[in-house]
Amino acid sequence: MIIPVRCFTCGKVVGSSYPIYVKRVQMGEDPEKVLDELGLERYCCRRMIISHADLIGEIQLLG
Amino acid sequence: MMQIEIIEMSDTKAKFILKDGTPGLANALRRVLISDVPKMAIDNVEFHLGPIMVDGREYESITPLFDEIVSHRLGLVPVPTDHELFVFQKDCVCEGEGCPNCSIMYSLNKIGPCTVYSGDLVPLGNEALKVKDDLIPIIELGDGQAVLVYAIARMGTANEHVKWQATHGVGYKYMPIISVDPKLCDGGSKCTDLCPCKVFVMDGDVAKAENLLQCSLCGSCLKFCDMKAISLTEDDTQFVFTMETDGSLTAAQTLDYALKDLQARFAKFCEDLPDA
Repeated sequence: MIIPVRCFTCGKVVGSSYPIYVKRVQMGEDPEKVLDELGLERYCCRRMIISHADLIGEIQLLG
Repeated sequence: MMQIEIIEMSDTKAKFILKDGTPGLANALRRVLISDVPKMAIDNVEFHLGPIMVDGREYESITPLFDEIVSHRLGLVPVPTDHELFVFQKDCVCEGEGCPNCSIMYSLNKIGPCTVYSGDLVPLGNEALKVKDDLIPIIELGDGQAVLVYAIARMGTANEHVKWQATHGVGYKYMPIISVDPKLCDGGSKCTDLCPCKVFVMDGDVAKAENLLQCSLCGSCLKFCDMKAISLTEDDTQFVFTMETDGSLTAAQTLDYALKDLQARFAKFCEDLPDA
């Protein structure tokens, strides 16, 4: 679905990092480095980004 | 007297040492930071229903997500907070009706196809109250879809809902006390190589604990050292604190508020005690 606004575990805002992460990784950057630079230190916030399946585009067609 | 030594202080992150404290005091500060620092968050959302006309074209006020989910997402967006400008609704002159002293009104007006971001929230009135983190995706709209939303933010604390929680990742650890007995240490450098936090360095032939703040008190140095030269204990009067804020308040403002709140509460408690 759509990227959650905050980390489920700690509450850090992760939504705004997702578009940047996707863009930079597609440009060929190392995901680990991108996550570090976005300030996502704890593994709870990191999993929010890396394990997210962005399916909102498919749901949207049914709306 | 409790003292605080700041190690790192940025807009959203702080690290400090609490000196001459007690475990109870450290935990009290942690809990106040988490649940008693008030901030603004969107609490009331009104959706326009029915068709929306833009430039002669009719858009449906429909989104791929339920309105409830959209409102929830709006609630979690960090809203800039100024304790000087805003008060709790229950303490306000308007007696909880909602006025510019206790609430911020935002409007969100977008037509698809597009992604609606938190930066599209337009504050009515004071332009300085625009959401700072403007890249949080709220909804994705398809062709012919549109949203027209009025959202009202009000002050609250995390006792009520996490969206009013100004901080996250608040925690502390006891200050480690590590000593290496120079008579026993054979300079095998096992501790410098195997400590996961890289606390030890070699000082000539003997190991020395240097990066104390990095120590996670895991105790693996005690296990690795064949000579049993290392001792590791905790100092229960000093605490290494870390905290982050979500951006609605700065870390310094949050810490300031929490300390004042704690002080006021202890003062009130002393007052309420019957004279012994």
